[in-house]
Amino acid sequence: MIPPETLVYLFMAVAGIGSTISVYYAIFEKDLLKAVIFSAIQSTFYALLYFLLMAPDIVLVYLPVAVGLIPGVLIILISKTEREERVDEEAG
Amino acid sequence: MISIEFLNTYLLSIVVFSLILNFALSLYGLFYRPHYIKKIIALTILSDTANTFAIYIGYRRWISEGGVNPRPPVIPTTEVTPGVLSEFVARSVDPLPQALVLTAVVIGLAVTIFLVFLGYQLFIHYKTLDMRRIKKLKG
Amino acid sequence: MKRLVKTLVLVSIILGFSLILAVASEYFIPGEAVRPLAVFYLSTTFNPWIPHLTVNSPEAVTAIVWDYRGLDTLFETAVFYLALIAGIALARGVSLRADPNSEGGLSVIVKTVTRITGPMIVAVGASIGLHGHLTPGGGFQGGATIAVIPLVIIIAFSVFFVIGKGVTKEKMLVLRSIGLVGIGLTALAALIIGLAVGKTAYVIQNMAKPTSEVSFPAYFNGSLVSGTLWFFNLFEMIAVAAGFTIAFLLLTYPEKKEGENA
Repeated sequence: MIPPETLVYLFMAVAGIGSTISVYYAIFEKDLLKAVIFSAIQSTFYALLYFLLMAPDIVLVYLPVAVGLIPGVLIILISKTEREERVDEEAG
Repeated sequence: MISIEFLNTYLLSIVVFSLILNFALSLYGLFYRPHYIKKIIALTILSDTANTFAIYIGYRRWISEGGVNPRPPVIPTTEVTPGVLSEFVARSVDPLPQALVLTAVVIGLAVTIFLVFLGYQLFIHYKTLDMRRIKKLKG
Repeated sequence: MKRLVKTLVLVSIILGFSLILAVASEYFIPGEAVRPLAVFYLSTTFNPWIPHLTVNSPEAVTAIVWDYRGLDTLFETAVFYLALIAGIALARGVSLRADPNSEGGLSVIVKTVTRITGPMIVAVGASIGLHGHLTPGGGFQGGATIAVIPLVIIIAFSVFFVIGKGVTKEKMLVLRSIGLVGIGLTALAALIIGLAVGKTAYVIQNMAKPTSEVSFPAYFNGSLVSGTLWFFNLFEMIAVAAGFTIAFLLLTYPEKKEGENA
């Protein structure tokens, strides 16, 4: 079968590509609520990458902070201010 | 055929290059997207990618003879013999970048929470969070 | 459809460029050995044969964060505290009052499930925080896990209910101050004991050093406590959880329309 070292590196490569796709969707999205959700998906891929790189302390810090607290605070701010981002108005 | 060594190198290069592409995309989002909250999202992605670079440097490959995997920097028992200790030193990854990244995550979180408070005060004062319009209003 | 095409272009850029980099031998991959500094940290973190140079904690990362580089963590706690003070100063003029006639919040199912899972999350967070010297975990990890519960309670019930139960900004500030004072006292404890007894001691000292004999107990009734690390983890957990609760209370309070907020 596949040697175990290559399998671990394959999982790392999948996590890396998944995180780049999520970052692309998060930056180029006009609805801010969906952008926050895509940012949480990217943080989940990063947490998988930290686990495969043998850093369990960082996984325990990163999961509550970047998947629970930061999207929570940002969604509270979105509900009090605007929700859409208008790009195609007058150029800055 | 392709050797196993080349395949391992190729997969690790995919990881490094996707991290570099994350960095570049978040820098674009920080500069060229006009909304305040989008800038905050791009800033958190930027700092997280820099932390991932640091942890990646502290990794350790599988040892060639025997094929033993690296381990996290924790001793699993409290009764240590010299054999357990020497095996732990020979197989564990670097603990120092992980300690520095711990501090960096906390500081990034503190700055983000302060930016959210600031954004709310901006909205109350200017009635909008579009930075181009705020630039034109001139206070 | 256009976005799917752009995603495929992005994935093919990553795969193709990495192939070019790997073929041209221009990559950076980690080696098979760690640096000499890492070898020093790993071999002295739990070593009963050199009792004057060891930390007596089988967890290398917590030992680095609170013992080898304790001063960095002190300053990181100070930065977090200053950011929280800046946030409170920006939200001045908001006086949190309880509004007894509002029946806000979500439905009964959500409230019941929150009542069940709330103590579970607190227990898991406390276990992560207080066992930081034995397993991966520590003060900040436990504090961040416990801080999820005030956010869920404020959203499931309403913020007026929470304030009416007695969880106000002033009480959370007192808790946060208790945590910070605890961290400061634990950092100075060895020095005070050394001055009282008459021996040499240093600031942020955990175990006995070659030039100083004051030491915190590493074992307590047969179980491993690792000196100051347990106290640091406990106070940091309390301080972080209370700080996040203040931030959530200030953010979710609805503002009045005229003349009452700054």
